[in-house]
Amino acid sequence: MTYKVIGKRVKRVEDPRLLTGGALFVGDVNLPDMLHAAFVRSDYAHAKIKSIDISQAEEIPGVVGIFTAEDMGEDWKPGPPLVSPPPTLEDVVFNSRRQVPLVKDKVKHAGEIIAVVVAETRYIAEDAVEEIFVDYEPLPAVTDLEKCLEPGHTLVHDDLDSNLAAHLVQHKGDYQAAKAEADYVLKRKFKLDRGAAAAMENRGIVVDWDQKNQHLMVWDATQSPIPIRNGMAERLGLRTHQVRVVAPFVGGGFGPKIMMFYAEEMVLPWLTMKLNRPVKWIEDRKENFYATTQEREQIQEVEMALSKEGRILGIKQSIIHDTGAYDPYGLTIPLNTQSHSMGPYDVKNYTSELSVVFTNKIITTPVRGAGRPQGIYIVERMLDIACREMDLNPLEVRRLNFIQPDQFPYDHEIIDQAFTNLVFDSGNYQPAYDKAVEKLEYERFIKEEQPRLRAEGKYIGIGLVPFIETTGVGPYEGARVAVEPSGKISAATGVGTQGQSHMTSFAQIIAEQLSVEVEDVSLVSGDTAEIHWGTGTFASRGAVVAGNAVLAAASDVRSKVLKLASKVLETPEEELELEGGLVRVADIPENSISLGELAVLANPFRGAVEPGTEPGLESTKYFGPAYGATAFGVHGMILEVDPETMMIKIHKYVTVEDCGTMLNPMVVEGQIHGGVSMGIGNAYYEKLHYDENGQLMNASLADYLLIFSTEMPEIFEVYHENTPAPNNKLGTKGVGEAGAIPVPAAFAQALENALEEFDLEITETPLSPNQLYELLHAKEEDNES
Amino acid sequence: MENTFELSVTVNGKTYQEVVDPRTLLSDFLRDQLGLTGTHVGCEHGVCGVCTVLLNGDPVRSCLLFAPQVHDQEVTTVEGLGTIDDMHPLQEAFREAHALQCGFCTPGFLTTLVPWLEENPDPTEEQIRVAVSSVLCRCTGYQHIIDAVKLAAENAR
Amino acid sequence: MKVEGEHIFNGTPGQVWDLFRDTEVMAAALPGTKKMELIEENTYEAVMFVRVGPVAGEFSGQLLISNEDYPRQYTMTVEGRGKPGFMKGVGDVTLVDLDGNQTRMEYQGEVQIGGRLAAVGQRLVDTVAKSIISQAFEILDQVLAEQAKAAEEGREAVYKESSESDYISAVAKDVIKNILKRPDNDGDEE
Repeated sequence: MTYKVIGKRVKRVEDPRLLTGGALFVGDVNLPDMLHAAFVRSDYAHAKIKSIDISQAEEIPGVVGIFTAEDMGEDWKPGPPLVSPPPTLEDVVFNSRRQVPLVKDKVKHAGEIIAVVVAETRYIAEDAVEEIFVDYEPLPAVTDLEKCLEPGHTLVHDDLDSNLAAHLVQHKGDYQAAKAEADYVLKRKFKLDRGAAAAMENRGIVVDWDQKNQHLMVWDATQSPIPIRNGMAERLGLRTHQVRVVAPFVGGGFGPKIMMFYAEEMVLPWLTMKLNRPVKWIEDRKENFYATTQEREQIQEVEMALSKEGRILGIKQSIIHDTGAYDPYGLTIPLNTQSHSMGPYDVKNYTSELSVVFTNKIITTPVRGAGRPQGIYIVERMLDIACREMDLNPLEVRRLNFIQPDQFPYDHEIIDQAFTNLVFDSGNYQPAYDKAVEKLEYERFIKEEQPRLRAEGKYIGIGLVPFIETTGVGPYEGARVAVEPSGKISAATGVGTQGQSHMTSFAQIIAEQLSVEVEDVSLVSGDTAEIHWGTGTFASRGAVVAGNAVLAAASDVRSKVLKLASKVLETPEEELELEGGLVRVADIPENSISLGELAVLANPFRGAVEPGTEPGLESTKYFGPAYGATAFGVHGMILEVDPETMMIKIHKYVTVEDCGTMLNPMVVEGQIHGGVSMGIGNAYYEKLHYDENGQLMNASLADYLLIFSTEMPEIFEVYHENTPAPNNKLGTKGVGEAGAIPVPAAFAQALENALEEFDLEITETPLSPNQLYELLHAKEEDNES
Repeated sequence: MENTFELSVTVNGKTYQEVVDPRTLLSDFLRDQLGLTGTHVGCEHGVCGVCTVLLNGDPVRSCLLFAPQVHDQEVTTVEGLGTIDDMHPLQEAFREAHALQCGFCTPGFLTTLVPWLEENPDPTEEQIRVAVSSVLCRCTGYQHIIDAVKLAAENAR
Repeated sequence: MKVEGEHIFNGTPGQVWDLFRDTEVMAAALPGTKKMELIEENTYEAVMFVRVGPVAGEFSGQLLISNEDYPRQYTMTVEGRGKPGFMKGVGDVTLVDLDGNQTRMEYQGEVQIGGRLAAVGQRLVDTVAKSIISQAFEILDQVLAEQAKAAEEGREAVYKESSESDYISAVAKDVIKNILKRPDNDGDEE
C-alpha cells in the first residue's frame, strides 16, 4: 500500500465545528417543555438525617416536584459494582459498597444528595434548594487512613465491622530471601495525594422519556455510553433498544466521566419517566468538587533491598488506599500502583500488601494516571534516596536495572487491573533514556551550568525520571465501517471522545485502508444507536483497542471492495489498485469503478445477494488483546526555586516517549503537553484539602489551583522512540496518561537537587510553596538541634 | 416571572429585544435565551475564562455579568468571529497548530485573543504566554495554543 | 481553625463577666444578631446573619457556657447551622485582673466550619472572625465607658445602636487590610 495516512500530522476534522461554536455539548441540549433539576446536598460528611422540610420550597412558583429517597420507593437502588476484585487472586477481602441515588438515613460524604428539586428553570430550582431545611444529627467523620482501622473507630458503613474496604497481597519471588542477600536495605514512608480531574466541562445529563414511543433518550457527558445504556435499561426495566445514550462532544474526561451510575445518572432517568417531561441537570463547578469523583490519598511504607552496585534485589510495600465513602470502581487504582511500583526495572522479588479503607470523603475513582504515578513515584524516590545514601550515580543505577530488550515479553507474575498477569509486552529503554539525558544536556548542566548559577545565588536543579505505562488493556472494543453510495465512508466506534481526536486519528486508519481523503470519513463515537457493543474510553486504550478494531473493520471492507470490484471489472484482485476513492485495473486505469458505485452494486434492489455474504460494503469487527501494551518514557526537567517565595519556574522540560506507532504525531504531542500540565498541577499546585470533619476547604477554582500557561515550562521538547507493540497490527501503544505519570517524581528529584545545600528528603506529594517552606524550616530546625 | 427587564442588545451584529429575569447571567442569556451555545460555562466564579465574550470589543467574563448590564451595548461571541466556511485567521491557526482538543475552553481563548492580537500584532513568545494565561485549559497544556497565536501573528504579516 | 487573642477592658473582671452575660449588650455588640436569648441556665439560643465574602446567610444555634470560675474563667461552646453551612467551636476565656480597674481578657479556641462556608469562604473566615471579634470589643469598650459615665452621673446607661452597614464596611476594610499586609508585618493595629 503506497497511500500512507497513519503517522501524518493530519488536521482534525472535528475542529471547524468546535472553533466556530457549533459543536453540541450536553449543556447545549435544549428541548421543548424541559425541566431543570437541582440537588440538595449534604453539608456534613457523616450525619444521620432526622427530617427533611420541603414545605417552603414547594410553595415557590415554578417548582414542579421535590423528591427524596422515600419517594423513589422500590426504584431506589445503589449503583452496580463496576469493577469486581480480581478473581485471579487468592485471599482477597472485598466489601462492595456503592453510591446511592438519594440518601436514606445516613450521609456518608459531604455533597451526597438528599433531595432533588425539579422546576421550570435552573434558577427557580436552585432557589427552592435554598429553602429546604434538613435536620442532621452530625456524626464524627472518618478521615484518617491509619486511625480508621483501629478497633472501635467510627464506621462509615455500619453493616461492616471495620472500615476495611479491601485487602490483598501480591507476591513475586521471595523478598525475604532477597533482603537477606542485600548489601543495603532502605526503608521509607510516603504520603501521596492526587486531586480532582477538573475538566473544563463539568458533568451533565439530559434525559427525555417519550411515553408514546416508550423510548428514553439520554445525553450524558460520559466516557462510556454503552455500559450506561445497558445499566440504565436494566435499572428502569426497559429493553436496550428502548434506551439511547449519546455522549456528544465532551469537554474533557480524564477519568471521572467514566465513573458510571453517579447519583444524578440514577435519579434523572427516574424523574423523566415519572414526570413525562425532559429533565436537564448541568453540574456547576462547586458541585463538581463534591459530586464528581476524584483521586486521593495513599500512605505507603516501602522497603527496597539493593546490591552494593545499586541493583534492586527486591521491593516490599504496604499501601493504604483511600476509596472514599464507596468503592464502585473496585481496586483499579491501587492495582495500577502495584503494577508500576517496580517501574521499568528487572525486579525479581516483590511483595505488596494492599489495604483499602472507607472514609467519609467523596468517592475515589481513576484520574489521569489512575494509580500509576504513585507507583512510579515511590520506586524512583527510593532509587534517588538509595543513590544518595550509597553514593551511586543515579543514571548508572537506572541503566543497571532496566529490563533488557531480550527479556520481553516480561512477565511480572503479579495481577494487574485487567485481572491478567502483568506482562510488559515490549520495550527498549536504554536508547530512550540516553536520548533524554542528551536532549536535557544533563551532563553539561551538572558540571557547568548548575555550579555557575549556584554561584550567582540561584537554586536550580535537574530531575530525570524514566517510567512505564500499562496501556491498551481489554476487554475489547468494536468498530463499524461502511462505504456509502456517495462514496464517502461512515464509521462508528463505542469509545467516547473527550478531546482525544478519535474522529481524525481513526479516520486516518480508515482513509489509508480505503484510499480516501480523511475528510471523507465521518466517524461517530459515543452514540449507542450506532454501535451496540463497547466498554469505554479509559486507561489509555482508545488508540490500541478501538484503533485496532477500526483497522480490522476497514481492512475487511477493503477486502470486500476488492472482491466485488474484481467481479465487476472482471479482473483478478491482484491486478487491482485502490486509489482516490476508485478501484482501477493496474495497467488500464480507465477501467475503474468508484467506491460509491460499488456500494450501490453491493446493495441491489433486485436480484440476489450471494449466500454466505452480506449486503453492502460494511464490516463490524472487535479487538480484544490478551494483555496490554507497555509504553515507556523519560521526563527530564530543569527547575528553579525562589528561596523566599518558594515559587518555581520550569526552565526546560524534555520528554522522550515510546508509544509505538503514532497514529497522528500532532495528537500525541498534544496528549503529552496536556498530561504534563496535569502532572505539574499534581506535583506543585493542586491539592484537595479535607479537614478532620471531611469538609473540603478549597472547593472552588479560586483555591484549587489549576495551572495557567505561565506555569508551564519555558522550553518544552517532545521526542519519540518507536518500539512497536507486537500484539496489535497497528503496533501502537497508548499515551493518554503518560504525560501525567512521572511528573511528581521528577519534581521531587529536581527540588531536592535545587535545594541540595539544605539536604532535603522529599517523601510526599503534592508539594506547594507552603509545603516546601514547611519542609525546609523543619529541616532547619532539625539541623540546629 | 415576577420581576422583568426589557433588554435591548446587539449580539454579533444582530439586535435583540428580549424580556429577561433581571438576575439572569449574561452567559445563560446568550446560551439559553438566544441559543448561542458557543460560549461555554466552566466555573461561574470568574476564574476559568471559558465564558469570555467581547463587550464593546473588550473581553469580559460573561458569568460575572447580569444580562441587564449589557443593555444597549454590543456583544460579540465566538459565533461572531467566523463561520465554518469563513473562519477567522486565528481560528484557522488554532486548527493548524492543534490548539484545541476537547474544544470546551476554545471560545474563551478566541474571544480573548482576537482583540489582543489586533492590539499586539508582533508579540514575543513571552507576551503571548502571558496573554494566553487569561483562560484555563485542561487538555492542551497551552503549548499549541501559544504556537497558534504565533502562527496567526506571522500569517498576518 | 484557631481563634485566639486578648483585649484589655476598662473595667473589673466582674463587670466584664457580666457584660458578656447580658444578652441585650451581646446582641448589640454583634450586629446581624436577630435573636439572643437565655433559654436555660448557661445556654443561649442565637440567630445571627453572617457574611463571609460571597457567602452570606442566617445562622441559628446554641451557645453553652461551662467550667465557670467567676470571675476568672469559663469555657464557651458554640454550634450553629444555616444555609451557608455550619460551624462549631470551643473556646476558653480567661479574665485577668490588672491593677487600675482594668481586665485583660484572653481567649483561645478552635472553630470548625463546613458546607459552603468552608468551600468558598475558608480563606476569609479567619479574617472575618478576627474582624467580628475586634469590632465586638470596640462596641463593648463603648458600653463599658458609657456604664462608667452613667455611674458617675448617677443615671441609666444609654447604648448607641450600631449600624449593620458600618459593621459590614468595617469587616470589608479589615479583610482588605489583611490581604495587603506584608508577611513581615507583625500583629494587628490595636
